[in-house]
Amino acid sequence: MTQAPASTQENPLLEGLRKRRQAEPCAMTIFGASGDLTQRKLFPALYALAFRSLLPPNFGVVGVARTPMSDDEFREKMRQAVADHGRDEFRQEVWDQLAEGIRYVASDFSDEGGEQHVVDCLNALDKERGTAGNRVYYLAVPPSAIETIVVAMGKRRTTGGWTRLIVEKPFGHDLESARHLNEVIRTYFEENEIFRIDHYLGKETVQNMLVLRFANGIFEPIWNRQFVDHVQITVAESLGIEGRAAFFEQAGAVRDIVQNHLLQLVALTAMEPPIDFSADSVRNEKVKVLKAMHTPGPKHVVRGQYGPGYIEGEEVPGYREEPGVAPDSTTETYVAAKLFVDNWRWADTPFYIRTGKRLPRRETTIAIQFKRAPHPPFEIDSEEGLRPNVLLVHIQPDEGVSLAVGAKVPGQGLTIRTVHMDFLYGGAFRTGLPEAYERLILDCMLGDSTLFTRADEVEEQWALVDAMVAPWKRDHPNFPNYAAGTWGPAAAEELLRRDGRSWRRH
Amino acid sequence: MAENVTIRDVERELGDLRAATTQPGEHPRLRTSVMTLMAWVPPNWVDAATETLAGLAERHPSRTILLFPQPDDPRDALDAEVDLRCFLRGGEEQQVCSEVISIRLCGRRSSAPATVVEPLLVADLPVFLRWRGQCPFGAPELEELVDIADRLVVDTSEWPDAEVAYERLAELLDRIVVSDIAWARTEPWRRGVAALWPDVANASSVRVAGPPVEALLLGRWLSARLGREVELQREPAGEIELVEVDGRQAVPVRFERESSSDLLSEQLEIFSRDRAYEEVVRSFSSAAI
Repeated sequence: MTQAPASTQENPLLEGLRKRRQAEPCAMTIFGASGDLTQRKLFPALYALAFRSLLPPNFGVVGVARTPMSDDEFREKMRQAVADHGRDEFRQEVWDQLAEGIRYVASDFSDEGGEQHVVDCLNALDKERGTAGNRVYYLAVPPSAIETIVVAMGKRRTTGGWTRLIVEKPFGHDLESARHLNEVIRTYFEENEIFRIDHYLGKETVQNMLVLRFANGIFEPIWNRQFVDHVQITVAESLGIEGRAAFFEQAGAVRDIVQNHLLQLVALTAMEPPIDFSADSVRNEKVKVLKAMHTPGPKHVVRGQYGPGYIEGEEVPGYREEPGVAPDSTTETYVAAKLFVDNWRWADTPFYIRTGKRLPRRETTIAIQFKRAPHPPFEIDSEEGLRPNVLLVHIQPDEGVSLAVGAKVPGQGLTIRTVHMDFLYGGAFRTGLPEAYERLILDCMLGDSTLFTRADEVEEQWALVDAMVAPWKRDHPNFPNYAAGTWGPAAAEELLRRDGRSWRRH
Repeated sequence: MAENVTIRDVERELGDLRAATTQPGEHPRLRTSVMTLMAWVPPNWVDAATETLAGLAERHPSRTILLFPQPDDPRDALDAEVDLRCFLRGGEEQQVCSEVISIRLCGRRSSAPATVVEPLLVADLPVFLRWRGQCPFGAPELEELVDIADRLVVDTSEWPDAEVAYERLAELLDRIVVSDIAWARTEPWRRGVAALWPDVANASSVRVAGPPVEALLLGRWLSARLGREVELQREPAGEIELVEVDGRQAVPVRFERESSSDLLSEQLEIFSRDRAYEEVVRSFSSAAI
């Protein structure tokens, strides 16, 4: 029998070598390269990937923005951004290697020919750096600019290599606009080439939610309406709008946080086990949850807007006093809602969600509150310090998981107190948690869309949000209704009090 | 180091130390472990071991048990010291602590270490055994510790006559998973050679400028993987500087920095067997010739 030629055999020399997540040669184009996101997140993420040799040697970045700048000026600006915001020490040799592939194109796409400059630059990178026609287009631009760029670049796709498009949130401003945007993008790009980014999904602790649920046999049997009393998900920020008045006045908390981050956290908490960890298996399960989700009515959605108050002892202005905000603005900076997931696992189990700006502290948590023990055989006095079991997933800060359990207070008699058993992510694994953008950019280069949002997911999220905000068009809220530095309007407390529950104590 | 102690003394001291380091009003210091790391450190390896282990606890929170054999000590006793190494979590107030237990095994205790360490292993977590220097194959101390560990980590470049000792190491492979730091050092070059496939499918020679053990491992690896005799030509060098297969130069593919701590740290993250390495080690045994 003749042996197959070596070129068709599997490479035997790879046996035993661990798979490394290194991307293929490619060029990444960042539209909106002079913006805050590029400097604070994208370039520090690229540097962190380069620091760990996760970028291919044949890699290039093209920054595109309106601001006139030379290649060298852009490089220097990004070098400073990496030095200021990077999580790793700054190593000149790492930067030099990355900087060799950095180019800049000053273009406003309303200019005739602006897109051709970008294409020419990318073609030149192919020749100079061997980026092989592989393209990542990162749209870090305002929503109004997305369509123009998609059409311009979609019409100029390369014939060789792959093309992937990363679209920043917000993806549309309602269901109709999201559908329209999906249609436009899909005219030029296949769904598997579209990476709608929600950076929350890139956070280690969010991914750990899936591991916690589906790699441990002890949680899943009790992860349902039989044992769970309710779920509370909090995305709290102590910051205000930080100069983003133009964006926030349009979006409000519901479009900024609820439509994407919060609903994704609900979906990850409530989803059924996927059959595998492939992109479509995971997203299929999330979509089922989003389809099954509803809020029981306007009474179960609370909105608020902060007035003046104190954060960390410092006096801060109210939302309407922030620069760029209308003095009679009715934009919500706080949203709380009760949601239900109508399926066998979760029927009648409330998911309480809340998000707000200028709350007392920054915190993102998912709290699974279990039902009380049916018949504790202790005297009532001894149970005074006992609270229900809560599995608390800390997304940020203090990344980790805590379980609140009842324990006997040492000493004579029998007194029970609730104590927390903590698993701190940074305590068990001290390799340094990668920034969400590092993970997501690399995933995109590798073509893995598991942690990105699919078109139908986005549309389901918008459908729910549209239903939540529809009644708001009819009434005029009495804003401001909570002081900066407090946990939101009184109506939010009432939302849970009506059900005989309360928000978690902090 | 306290002299003539018992394991109960060690356990009590650990408990006291944990309690004492938390002041009223402070966040509790968390004890975190992902493994028990035992290190067998003969006297001439103490400095090197200390250097490698510095910072390792921060990367791999574990209960570390350092065993210092002193077979020539006239006493039949244990001396011990316990230390709680606490690290601030980046930007947070909470501290995470790992326990380091140093035990001097005096006299006959040097050849019966298992009963000393077994009570101190963290239950249900993997046990790694780092053996500094040449493994004394057949000696009771190695035999005992291999039986309680899940993974043996060696650096065969520390062995004076590795080529002969691999045959004995092969005998251990059925009992314990083995990691070799010398083998880990060849990884970037193995990746570089793998990138030359299929041009090297019929290779007949490999030229390595590097230390003897690493060169030997690379030569045996290529022979084993290609299923053909590949002649090794070695040029002395302090570390691997060149690998050439039939005149084709391999470009090393490096991912991380490679200090001794980095290399050990990487081995502590691996749980599976490395079949390619085991094949290389077994190729040294007389049965394979």
